[in-house]
Parts: sequence; structure tokens; C-alpha cells
Amino acid sequence: MKLSHNWLQHYIKFKLAPEQLSEQLTMLGLEVESYEHLGEKYKGFVVGQVLEVQKHPNAEKLSVCRVNIGKEVLQIVCGAPNVAAGQKVAVGLSGATVPKNQHDPNGKPFTLSHVKLRGVDSFGMICSEYELDLGPDKDGILVLDRKAKIGRSLSSYLGLDDVAYEIGITPNRPDLLSHFGVAREIGILTGKQPSLPKVKLRESTVSVAKHFSVKVEDKVNCPRFAVRVIRNVKIGPSPEWLQHALRAAGLRPRNNVVDVTNYVMLECGQPMHAFDYAQLRGSKIIVRQAKAGTSFRTLDGKEHTLPEGAVMVCDGVREVSIAGVMGGENSEISDTTTDVVLESAYWNPSSIRRTAKALGITSDAAYRFERGADPHATPYALDRAAELILQTAGGELLKGRIDIYPKKINERIVPLRTSRCNRILGTSLSSSEIVLCLKKLGIAKGKGSADKNFFRVPTFRVDIEREIDLIEEVARVFGYNNIESKTVAAIDLNHPFEKQILADRICDTLVGFGYQEALTISIQSEETSRLTGASPVVLMNPLGKEMSTMRTSLIPGLLEAAARNQSFGNTDLRLFEIGHVFRVDSEPQMVGNIREDERVCLFLSGKNLPRHWKSDSQELTLYDLKGEVADLLDACGLDSWRYIYYSTSETLAENPIFVEINGTTAGFLGKVKGEVCKRFGFEQEAFVAELTLSALKSDKKKKYTALPKFPKVRRDVAFVVDSNVTSEIMERCMKESGSGLLQEVELFDMYEGENLPKGKKSLAFTLVLQSQEKTLVDHEIDTEVRRIVTRVERELGAELRSS
Amino acid sequence: MQTKIAQLRQQVEAEIGSVTTEDQLEAFRIKFLARKGLVASLFDDLKNVPAPEKPMAGKYLNELRQRTQMLFDEKAASLKSTPHVSAQLDPTLPGRRKFLGTKHPLMQTLDEIKSIFVGMGFGIADGPEIEDDWHNFSALNFPPDHPARDMQDTFFVDRNILLRTHTSPVQIRVMENNTPPIRTIMPGRVYRNEAVSARSLCNFYQVEGLAVDVGITFSELKGTLLSFARRFYGKDIKYRFRPSFFPFTEPSAEMDITCFICRGKGCRMCKQSGWLEILGCGMVDPNVFTSVGYDPEKYTGYAFGMGIERTAALLYGVDDIRLFYENDVRFLRQF
Ligand SMILES: [Zn+2]
Repeated sequence: MKLSHNWLQHYIKFKLAPEQLSEQLTMLGLEVESYEHLGEKYKGFVVGQVLEVQKHPNAEKLSVCRVNIGKEVLQIVCGAPNVAAGQKVAVGLSGATVPKNQHDPNGKPFTLSHVKLRGVDSFGMICSEYELDLGPDKDGILVLDRKAKIGRSLSSYLGLDDVAYEIGITPNRPDLLSHFGVAREIGILTGKQPSLPKVKLRESTVSVAKHFSVKVEDKVNCPRFAVRVIRNVKIGPSPEWLQHALRAAGLRPRNNVVDVTNYVMLECGQPMHAFDYAQLRGSKIIVRQAKAGTSFRTLDGKEHTLPEGAVMVCDGVREVSIAGVMGGENSEISDTTTDVVLESAYWNPSSIRRTAKALGITSDAAYRFERGADPHATPYALDRAAELILQTAGGELLKGRIDIYPKKINERIVPLRTSRCNRILGTSLSSSEIVLCLKKLGIAKGKGSADKNFFRVPTFRVDIEREIDLIEEVARVFGYNNIESKTVAAIDLNHPFEKQILADRICDTLVGFGYQEALTISIQSEETSRLTGASPVVLMNPLGKEMSTMRTSLIPGLLEAAARNQSFGNTDLRLFEIGHVFRVDSEPQMVGNIREDERVCLFLSGKNLPRHWKSDSQELTLYDLKGEVADLLDACGLDSWRYIYYSTSETLAENPIFVEINGTTAGFLGKVKGEVCKRFGFEQEAFVAELTLSALKSDKKKKYTALPKFPKVRRDVAFVVDSNVTSEIMERCMKESGSGLLQEVELFDMYEGENLPKGKKSLAFTLVLQSQEKTLVDHEIDTEVRRIVTRVERELGAELRSS
Repeated sequence: MQTKIAQLRQQVEAEIGSVTTEDQLEAFRIKFLARKGLVASLFDDLKNVPAPEKPMAGKYLNELRQRTQMLFDEKAASLKSTPHVSAQLDPTLPGRRKFLGTKHPLMQTLDEIKSIFVGMGFGIADGPEIEDDWHNFSALNFPPDHPARDMQDTFFVDRNILLRTHTSPVQIRVMENNTPPIRTIMPGRVYRNEAVSARSLCNFYQVEGLAVDVGITFSELKGTLLSFARRFYGKDIKYRFRPSFFPFTEPSAEMDITCFICRGKGCRMCKQSGWLEILGCGMVDPNVFTSVGYDPEKYTGYAFGMGIERTAALLYGVDDIRLFYENDVRFLRQF
């Protein structure tokens, strides 16, 4: 919200400079985001009077003027057709920066200096509205008010000797959405109480009740509704002071009546509305709920279809305003309006919010009403607006006001225990200190006992309902930074968080393998999310088609990242991500039917090592990934897992290999299908593994086993077998045949082709033998190896190759 | 005496020139610089020099010692950087490198934050990213139809299910499943329905903290967060707590520290204010305790939260947070 420094001074006198005020308000919780000296841009511009205009001797379109700027008379060359002797004008002096250059296509500012124009000296510039950034007019100079004082600075003439603050008001504090509201907070700083101007009204002898009536049908949503009627006003532009005030607060002046309603809102926070009396049929107002589906045109010219329950201000026949949100076009103040009906009301915040939200309307009025206005401000604002309209637009104010307020809204009485206050804040404030803090906010102490006092909370403080709300106010006034900082050591035993340890372990292991951790956006297009075949979670209000569903797999994100890297020439890639994936499940889950899993995804492509002079780096293969997945599972402390090769439909990878841990599938690895790579613009072979984190959790307790006392013996054997016998089957066969001496089987060579019959291959293994009881001697080793070989020959039709 | 010094100086200059190996250099050191070396023995002779000559002789001798030491140091340095090239081995050929893996900068930042709080006795908890209205809003004292909900632009899955807008719903889950004392932090990914720009993204990371026990005060909140900020941003930082508003805490505060880029003078990073907002915090609102079935008269607590992208951006000087999600390895490898 924008506030004017000068305006604030109307309600409370303070000497704080803008910088101090900003700092101190910020420390009270009114975050001053910025402030601006409004006149800054008109430094070096003054009001001058044109004394004399003569034709330029060397230029048809130029004139040479003598301009009185108070201290001296300047010679200025001017090109405007409308310049004339006697005019009051805005003069830019040498050194001043003209906000907009009308000869520059972008209107860039430029700085004035003494120049010779076609041989004639010019000591300044008479400016146009456009050049001063005050409006669009470029065709002639801006002519100021006849009464403008010669030599006065332009910023003061424009009412810009002021500072505008931009303050972020939190949604709990609607009472701060006005100058008077902020003045109350300044009162905490200065120790003075701010006050609103006293209203003096001259009423006619004609009673308002004779000419107008109000009926409130929806008393729940309209607890208070008040009007006054003013006849024979003259609609026109507002006086200077009013226009200046509105501009400083960031509002555009319109006409005197509308400007007054806005001024009063910015003064005391109460939104107002003015109707053209002549347009209110039956000279009455009825407040009631709209029929759903009724169409209504607001004063900004937009057509709306009213929702169920929208509260409307109606005349005898039709709707004339969406209550507390925006007035209707059919009854707004126009240039021909003579009689005005002024509305000041208090609306139920949640009703206003529902209607404004349903219609998608944001307005200053709705903004305040939905946060909560002050029901006690209704009559003051009404009278104040009437006073200012009489002042600025003349007219006859009918006697009395109509004020429908059937059920009085009282000040809230809120108890506060001194002990509780100190128990929350960690302070040792006395009861009288607390009372003093709250008094500064206009919150008075009522009844009380030793520890417990009752406080009367004014109706404008809608945020204070409970003891804790009062405690916050005490803390605010006492000063957050005056509360001592204490540290307490304590250990939480509930959340040792094994999941965290597992994720860290996985992350550290993969980083050790040379993987870069990536983080990709979890929202993606529905097309992408459907690639996995899972049913994706679809957003109701997405940012666009490309961002409309939650990811069902981490693979597409990494493929996209890989493609981006490839386009920068980085083709050797190892990436991983740990993150959540989502899908709609048929069974109910923790939240709705949404199944959420944390996964880790590995992505590999390109070379295994950087280039080196001594040895070649090689293209990564599926076996690199397969080995790394095995190492990762080892690092997680898992031992009962295996690869499964049966073909299941996996939409992203070809010939996927599944990882089964303790009987359940934990994920898969494989080569990404060519068409999937292509879809993301990645043009290399790529390998991925995606595993569910919860499946990687190992329950195994770390336990010591005695180290072997006797040496290992290694023997190599090579077999020729049918091509369709897998190495896994051979390994298993060897392990099952042993007498317990065989510790490990390592495949070290695989060969197909020349020297072998078609349909055959050769596999070579190292057998590692070891006894727990003794050092093995040759004949024991030979016997064991022979036993293994015989079994493999017999069971798998293998043939031992002589070595 | 002075002739002796000059002679020794010549000898030193001559012999250092012929040193080509470490062994020869060591021999040089023992001959001239050792405790019983030639230079030291001249110092012993100094006592025999007549008094008037003593100051001058002492000065020259000191110069000689310094010169000798310098020549020795220079030679030592040059011997170390000269490889022993032989026919069999050129040690200057490049070694075999690996592709280096790195943890994502956001996760590095998060790790640092986690380790500080874990060091203060906090545990770590997490929760789902897709939440229901209850955990994300209602239980956290956001009434329906309240403007406070506008503070967070929300992605909805249906009327009741949404992408969590903050990590605060994990507070509710932690309290629903545990009894006090609780001291835990809750890191995770959150979502806001905001157009992607250099300053905002539709998803980002937060870390939330919660402490609930008998006797926890605002004073303790300040102390804990101050300890964190001093460890994380430096022990000399200036700080301030200023009032703010969050529906689920009361009193609520924001913590600022002096901008470490401009040292409080005002710059683009701190929007000319000289202060950087680093986190939001406050005392757990009694309504939140009521919604999880805790007795607000018995327990008090505090909560805090901060954004990881913003923290990391400040820390590493990253001016466009989209870089964190582009996964350009040229960017990732910088951390
Ligand atoms: Zn700064």
C-alpha cells in the first residue's frame, strides 16, 4: 500500500525522517518496502511567467521568450505554437533533467544546458506535459494555473514535496490500510495519540427520510448500512489539494465526488460508494442476495454473471452495486449527476471474499471489506465524506442519516494472564508493564485480578480475538529485539530418520562413482507423464499444457537435462536424481488415491573416462550401469537381491533388467528406447536405472565375522557351451556342486566366433577356493575342480577347453 | 674480519652454482648454514673484533647469513620444480583423471543447514508433496475463505487435494504421530502456482523447523535461530527480528541479517535496505496445537522456515534461480 508522508502528518505530528520512519515501522511489522521522494524528478524546474514573445530572427517556427522565474528574467527559445505572453509555465533550468525527450522515440530523459538555437541564446526550456511525464500531450507547452506563484518550485506547485512509502501490510491487519491506521502505529513510536479531523456539517432543514429509504433484507451479511443524500452538487474536477493527496497515494483523480469517497477510504480505511440519486428507482435501496445467474455490469464496463449468495445493493427494481465489491454502471456518478446518495456500510468479510473471488474482481473496497472493516467507522466516514463533498462540489445535505444497524457490534473483551505472556515470550514483564504496552495501541485494561486482566479491544483490531493475539501485541510494542536470546540444548529422540541416512548414503556413493546430482522440475506435460504407462496426477489449475501433471518417473527429467547438456557439447554424462514420483492408484493412500514414492534414478551416456594419452576411454555400456547398480546395492548394505531378466512391459527401456530385493521388485535398469531418446532430443545411446528408495532400506545389523585364517587358491577353467546357456546359470551350477570350498566364481572372458562351432560360445571362469580349517593341498584342489567341471559338463552339456 | 666475510661470500656464490641435486644442496647447507657451519663460525669470531669495528662487522655478517639462506631457499625451490626427466619416464605427462561427481548445490546448502540443526539436537522428518487441505491449510489455522490463503498461490489436484505450498504440513504430521518433546527439521520440495522467472519457480525447496515442549519461549526461538545464523552466515553478523504474520504462528517474526554482499550499505541483492531476510518464524499458534490434539496450556513451541533456493543463491551469488533446475553440468561442477 502507498502512503504519503505529508498526509500522515494530518493525523499525528512527527519529526521522523523518511529513513527513520521506514526503519521503525518495519520493526513494528509494517514492512516498508521502499520510499520515494516524489519531487526528486522535478529538481531544477520552477514556475515562470512568459513576459514577452518575439519571432526568432532565423527560424520560422521558433519564438524567443522572456520568462520571469522570480529571481531573474531568462531568455528562452521555444518551439511551441501555443506559447503566449502572460502564461504561467513550467521552466526547466540549466542542469535539470527533463523526464521525457519528445524527439526521442523511447522518450529517454535528457539534461538541459545553456544552448544557442539558430544563433540565439536559450537559458532554459518551457516544457510540455509529455516532457514532464505528466500526460500524453506533446503538441504545446503545459500552461499552469493563472494563480501559480512565480518562482515556486514545480514539485511544490504539483504537490510533490512529499515522500511516498510502499508498505507491505499483512492480511491480518486491515486496520493499517489507511493513513489514519498507520498514524496509530506512528503513535506507538512517538508516544502521542493521533486524531481524525472533527466533522462539522451544515444540514438543510429537509429530512433525508422524506426523500429516501433503506431496507436491509440480508442482515447476516450486512450488519450495518448507512446513507446520506446531498442535492444539487456540481460535478467537476477536484481541488488541487485533493488531487495531490490521491496522486501521492497512487490513485488517479476522477471527479470531486468520486475523489472524496476515495480520499475518505484512504484517510480512515472505510470504503465508500456514491450513487447518482436520479438513477435509483423508487428512491430507495434494498440490500438482498442476488438470484444466481443474474447478469450485472460493473462501473468498469465489465459484464458479470452473479453467483449464488452474492449480496447486492438494489434500488426499487434492479441491482445497482455488488455490495462492498464494486458499483454498477447503471447508477455511477456522471458529469450530469446533481443529487448524490452516499453509502457507508459494514459487510461480512467472508461473504465479500466469496463473491469477489467467484467474480474474479479485485477492488480497493473488496480488499478492505474481506479482511474486515471497522463497524464503528461507518457513520464517521459518511459524515466526513458529506463534509468534503459540500466543500468541493457544493450542494444541500439533507438532514440526518439513515443508519440501519440492528445489532450493535461491541468491543471484544480479551483476557490476558501476565504469567502466560511471560511463559510464551520468555520475558519477566510485570502486569503494569503489559498494561502500558497495550495502552499505546488503544487497548484499555478493564477488570482484572492479580494475574489475569481483561482488555477492551477496539473494533478496528479484527486480528485480536485471543490471549495469544494480545501477547503478540505486547511483544511488538516491547520490541522483538528487546527479548533476550536464550539457547537450550535438547535432543530429539523421535526422529533419527533412517530414510535420510539411506538417501545420504546413496547420494555419497553415486557422487563417488562420478555422478552429478541433478534436480528437475516435478511438473511436466501429460504426454510425458503418460510415457511410463502410469495414470498421472493431473492439476486442476496448471500453468499451461506443458506443466499440467506430476511426474510419474524421474527418467524424462534427466533425459531433458541430458539433451540440454548435449546441446552445449557435453556428451559424457552421469546424472542422478533423488525425488518423488506420483501416480493415481486404485487403492486409497495416505492422501486420497495418490501414490507417492521416493526414487533414485541413474542416467549414463557417453564415455567411461575422460580422454587420456596412455589408454583409450570406452563407450559406456549396459554392463557399466549394471555393475554400478550392484555396487550401489552393496553400499546400501543389501545382500538378498537379484537381477531378473524375464520380459515385462517397460515402456521406457528395451530389454529391461529388473532388480528384486527380498522378493519385491525395487526397480529396473536398461537401455533407453531410441524413440524415447529422440522424443527429448537426445541423440546418443543412454542407459537408466530407476529404483524405489524404500526398497533399498536394509535391516541388516552390521556384524563382525572372523577373517579366514588360510589362503585362497585360484584356478581358471574355460567351457564351450551352447550359446543359449547364460553365465548366471553356469555360475549357479558351479556353486551348487561344490563341497563348501568354492567361495567365489568370477567370469573373466566370453568368446564367440572363429575357432568355435556355430551356436557355441566359450566362457572362462576363475574359481576361488578356500578352506576354513586348513591350507588346501594340490590334490584336494584338483579333486574339487574336477567335481565342479564334471557337474557343469553333465548338467549343461558343456565341454572343458584345454588351457 | 671484513676480508674473511668477503671471501666466504665469494665461496658461497660459487658453490651454490654447482649444486644440481638434493644431496648436493644438503651438503651445501651443512657446510655453510648449519649450527657449526662456516657462517656460524664467523659469528663466533666476532667476539675477537675490536669494539669500534664490531657494529659494521656484525652488519656485514648478518647480510652474509641472509644472502646464504636466500640462495639456499631459491635453489631448493628450483630443484623441486625441475622434473627428473629420463628416457624411461616423463613425469610431466598428464595423469589419468576421472569424471568428478558432485552433489547438487541446493542439496549441499540443505546439508549444511541440516548439520547445524542436527548438531543442536534436532531430528529430521518428512512428508508427502501432495497434501490434503487439512494438513496444508486448515490445521495450520488458515480458515476457509480467508485472505491469508492468497499469500500462497496453490496448485490443486481436486477441491481437497493440492501440491503442498510449504513444508509446514509436515509439522502437523509430526505432531499427529508423536508426543512432545519434539525438535525436528523438515526439509522438502514445495510448489507455488507462479510463472517461472529468474526469481521464482513453480517448485522449490524449503526447510521447516518445529520445537514443542513444556516451557519453550520466544526467547529460546531467538537464541536457537541466532546460533544457526551465526554458524551458517558467520559469527559476526548483525541481525534483527521484526514482527510479521503467518497464520500458524503467533507472535510471528522475520529474521534479517545485515547484507553480506554490501555489508549493510544497500545493494541490488538486499533491495537497497542493507538487510537480507533469511527466515520466517514464530511461536506455534494455540489453534495449531488444538487441531493436533495437544493442550496449548501445557505445551508451547516454535516453528521456523526458510527457502533453500534463495539461501543458496545468496551464498553462491547465483542471480537466476532457474539455473538450479537446468542441470547444466558446467554449472553443477562449480560447486
Ligand atoms: Zn546489500
